[in-house]
Amino acid sequence: MATEFHNLQELRHSASLANKVFIQRDYSEGTVCKFQTKFPSELDSRIEKTLFEDTVKTLNNYYAEAEKIGGHSYLEGCLACITAYLIFLCMETRYEKVLKKISRYIQEQNEKIYAPRGLLITDPIERGMRVIEISIYEDRGSSGSSSGSSTTSSSGR
Amino acid sequence: MPAGLSVGGALGDPSPSHPFRPSRYVPVSAATAFLVGATTLFLCFTCPWLAERFSSSIPLYNTVVFLFTLANFCMATFMDPGIFPRAEEDEDKEDDFRAPLYKTVEVRGIQVRMKWCSTCRFYRPPRCSHCSVCDNCVEEFDHHCPWVNNCIGRRNYRYFFLFLLSLTTHIMGVFGFSLLYILNHTKQLDEVHSGVTMAVMCIAGLFFVPVAGLTGFHIVLVARGRTTNEQVTGKFRGGVNPFTHGCCKNVSHVLCSSQAPRYVGRLRGSKSLQVQPPFLRPQLSEAQLAAKVLDNGIQQSKSSLEAMESQSTDADPPPPPKPEHRYQGLPHTHNEESSLLTEAPPTPSLYKYRPAYSSPGKNHTALTHSSKMTRGDSMTESPSIPLSTGHPSYRSDPSLSGRGGAGWRSGGGGEGGRAGSGGLGGASVLGGRSYPSFTDTLLQSAAASCSSSIRSAHTAHNALGPLLSEGTTSTSYKSLANQTRNGSLSYDSLLTPSESPEFESAAHELSPPRPQAPSSLGTAPLMGYSSPFLSAQQREGSLQACPAPLRPSSNRAFLRPTSPPPSRAPPPLSPRARSLGSPPPGPAPGNTPLGKSLSYTGGAALQQRPTNTGGGTSMPNSTSRQSLANHSTHAHKPGGGVKKVSGVGGTTYEISV
Repeated sequence: MATEFHNLQELRHSASLANKVFIQRDYSEGTVCKFQTKFPSELDSRIEKTLFEDTVKTLNNYYAEAEKIGGHSYLEGCLACITAYLIFLCMETRYEKVLKKISRYIQEQNEKIYAPRGLLITDPIERGMRVIEISIYEDRGSSGSSSGSSTTSSSGR
Repeated sequence: MPAGLSVGGALGDPSPSHPFRPSRYVPVSAATAFLVGATTLFLCFTCPWLAERFSSSIPLYNTVVFLFTLANFCMATFMDPGIFPRAEEDEDKEDDFRAPLYKTVEVRGIQVRMKWCSTCRFYRPPRCSHCSVCDNCVEEFDHHCPWVNNCIGRRNYRYFFLFLLSLTTHIMGVFGFSLLYILNHTKQLDEVHSGVTMAVMCIAGLFFVPVAGLTGFHIVLVARGRTTNEQVTGKFRGGVNPFTHGCCKNVSHVLCSSQAPRYVGRLRGSKSLQVQPPFLRPQLSEAQLAAKVLDNGIQQSKSSLEAMESQSTDADPPPPPKPEHRYQGLPHTHNEESSLLTEAPPTPSLYKYRPAYSSPGKNHTALTHSSKMTRGDSMTESPSIPLSTGHPSYRSDPSLSGRGGAGWRSGGGGEGGRAGSGGLGGASVLGGRSYPSFTDTLLQSAAASCSSSIRSAHTAHNALGPLLSEGTTSTSYKSLANQTRNGSLSYDSLLTPSESPEFESAAHELSPPRPQAPSSLGTAPLMGYSSPFLSAQQREGSLQACPAPLRPSSNRAFLRPTSPPPSRAPPPLSPRARSLGSPPPGPAPGNTPLGKSLSYTGGAALQQRPTNTGGGTSMPNSTSRQSLANHSTHAHKPGGGVKKVSGVGGTTYEISV
């Protein structure tokens, strides 16, 4: 009886943090925010290369859009100057808007792609946009359930 | 208050350990007083006459310019310049003990060096610099301006530049209109109004020269796409600036780009995602499967420990589960620890000193491995050194430890760090470049175990020698910069355990806010910090007393003790952390009796110390570092002095020579 209880408990799967991979910045084009698309070896057995590269490329595109110097940013600058920067109290800057989009995108990617594979992407802004941190989780429950079942089998004899 | 504005350097400090220094506020107060005071006097005494004599647009113009100047001044003063938050502990686990102080990266075809910041614990991105006044790494660091009491960096450079422009314009306007007033009141110079106007003129004239000079200097910098830091340190003197995009684009980048986001003090989204097994796994292609079969486990990949089995030809039980020790609160790591303790046979003291350089997982697998090996498995059964690959794999370490004992398995493990770092310290160690004591230990441990296997390991390590040059531009290591001479000293401590308490006390001397007597070493591990210098008894005690989840932090402690902000818990890193990386001066660890490694401290101190360029004030212990320079044998920079250069406008810059 006690063994069965133990077995049931062990069957309750849980994940634990095993490792973290850091995707570094790609500085080949200067200080523009861009991350390396090189597929890290730690993720080799966890996720398909194409999915990972898609994520990073999309993020790079978002950042490029945020940092783009064009009409929008110029107008924003002029408006800020005219209002003695008081406009920042009520208006969200372009960069912040794109960062929100990025945050939503990462959340969505985590939900759909990464979490089912035991991975989690941390928003790079939390790391000062220096790295993309991917946490790798391991299935802790599986090892427990095997020991539980072995206990049951031994007691069954 | 939106994310754009934040209380930056002038009022608040992101690094909480900074004491309140009123002298920092003197220049900014003076600047504010002069600006506001002089302008107010001008507007009150001079402008009324000008308005009625000429036009009322004169005071209006002056008011607008004044407000614009004031707004830019406030933004430059209070805005976060682009401070990087300190890196998390986990981030530098990839960089091993012997990871280099510099990392080279190619920016538009030009090699740029990224230096390891021991305070912030990451490799500084290009154009980033650590401000010694603010004790922060700042993105696109320009300089620390005492007149605004703030760093000028990526986020607020535009406001600083506009402040200079507008201030110059304002001074010119005030001076010009005051002169106009005086010239029309030559017969009434004894009046109060004239007197005030003349005083304002004097102030304006006095400030005009430095301000205009500084403005001109920055106009040139903006046009060239350089920061003050780069200009003053002569980084691109005679060379090509990889960060310039041409004059027009540089100007538009400064003035027209969108406001960069803040990194510190952001509101974190409280979305917590549950990661629930079972996990999907990608389908392995046939080629990948074939590759794994042929692999023989000689891989860099840290993810599959199963391959470790293939290295040993003896029938070992499967290795323990993957390492999770560095993350606290995981109960089953505790079980692993205790299981290892119960399993460990009575080994000679050599095996107990395993400085935890590499990940705990590596340690534990090695310990298991070695303990199992020493229990009676033939050591000669160990396979040939798997170090024939280009990358020293940590996986090779258990086989090494199987031969050489735990003591220097860690050396191997430490050396088997990232190949990319180029800091194949193992090779460097055995290449005789540093830590000669290590070689002695090596030979001694060889006597204790299979000598043949040691020799083969030795040759394997030597094979790594040429790999040392990969990507390393200097022979100094960030671990040295972080005062982790613990690595070398651990091997010394293997021979002379009695020395360790002395070192421990010396290390503690460095951290005045955290005085720990050597006798309290036993308690230190309870805080989650275990030192390689503990004697055998203390080590045993620490292993048993210290809860397992805290032990992983010891890796970090050895690898990179730096000065963490006090708010960070646990404090275990601190004793060594308050080493040369932080302001409190003190005897360098090199002054301890472990004289062999003295030179490396000197080198390390030299390496990690200097280039806080642009700092307005000089560090008090820069001279002590200079004295250490005499001991340096591996200093990348010759001399190692810190030169103070005064720039336009009264700012001083520290340049390491």
